[in-house]
Amino acid sequence: MSADLILSTILSPIVLFFVLGLGAALLRSQMSVPEAFAKGLAIYLMMAIGLKGGVEMSKTALTPEILLIALAALLLSFLGPFLAYSLLRMTSKMSRIDAAATAGHYGSISIVTFVAATQALELAGVVTSGYMVAMAALMEVPAIMSALWLASRGLQKSGEVAGSEKGELFREVFLNASVVVLVGALAIGWITGERGMEKISPFFVIPFQGVLCLFLLDMGLNAGRGLRQGWRQLDLGALSFGVIMPLMSAVITTVICWGMGLSVGDAALLITLAASASYIAVPAAMRLALPKAQPSIYLTLSLGVTFPFNLTLGIPLYIMLAQWVGG
Amino acid sequence: MHQKKRLEIIIEKPALKRACRVLEEAGVKGYTVFPAMAGFGNSMRWQRGTDLSASRDMVMIISILDAAVVTKATEDLENLMGAHIAVLSLSDVQVLRAEKF
Repeated sequence: MSADLILSTILSPIVLFFVLGLGAALLRSQMSVPEAFAKGLAIYLMMAIGLKGGVEMSKTALTPEILLIALAALLLSFLGPFLAYSLLRMTSKMSRIDAAATAGHYGSISIVTFVAATQALELAGVVTSGYMVAMAALMEVPAIMSALWLASRGLQKSGEVAGSEKGELFREVFLNASVVVLVGALAIGWITGERGMEKISPFFVIPFQGVLCLFLLDMGLNAGRGLRQGWRQLDLGALSFGVIMPLMSAVITTVICWGMGLSVGDAALLITLAASASYIAVPAAMRLALPKAQPSIYLTLSLGVTFPFNLTLGIPLYIMLAQWVGG
Repeated sequence: MHQKKRLEIIIEKPALKRACRVLEEAGVKGYTVFPAMAGFGNSMRWQRGTDLSASRDMVMIISILDAAVVTKATEDLENLMGAHIAVLSLSDVQVLRAEKF
């Protein structure tokens, strides 16, 4: 790993715009990106990355190697919360329910971190496979199941919350905006292929980098404000978990990538996915499934600590790990 | 003028549908939902739109209703307030058209 790659990642426009937003929020700037516009940007980015992945998938057949990576991705998401939960209970004073809810975020993934890693790899001239977007989609959900199981252990069943409806959690978990848009765009890209993409590339390919900069400026503002408002809720053990957990996940996934003989690009993306933490799909599901868990704890950790760490230092490190073991 | 109750619930956005179901099942004739911009509670400030999941956003539900409907919904509202981040208040109001509420 050359210092060049670290520098080019950290000094890329997307990371610098993120740092600008983070710094502005920490310094209490009143700057903001309109809420509806930011949500539109998120949908645009998920559509663009899904379409791109789908088009790449349309060019390759489903091989046993891809199925093996999918299995590894599912297992990483499913088992990640168990490691996170144990670590949190050992290092922090977090309650069982807060630890379980937080653990769920760390088994799931951050699609923005994934996009940033894809950009860093493109910048470094490293090739990645389109089907890795499908792995990202696969890793969104299993962690939520593990977190719910961890939270329910040893607790008396408290009965349903008034106003609950059958299937509301299922809808939140499987039909939330990020899963619908990402999987939907992936399928559309796969069906329409290269010819379909040619028609929409002026909207989804050329402006992608600029939109990502704008989006990351907003993410920086959100991360900074989340950290400023919520850091008092976290003890030192919990704060350090936000950095230690992604590193531990990265090391474990590196070994798995080595075992599967993944290419450098695909290994770097799988490591990044495993090391990232959700802040879109999982928090909303947790508010319904585990309302007693405190959102200020898990959102501050995933959005205020882990996301900035991954975006600045984590991604170059994960690429380095992938370069060591990648085939 | 007619005497009615004004129910005001400030609740986390993910639980909005649950609150609406409780009110509808109790037989309220109407309610209005407002987005909350920012606030302070549990020793920390919060602000709308600071995370994409919107799971920290709060909303306010206002309903003018009959005292009998409030009594009917009390148990469910207590259960809901106990599970979610929420505040409920009830006050006396006077309305012009009693049949609307």
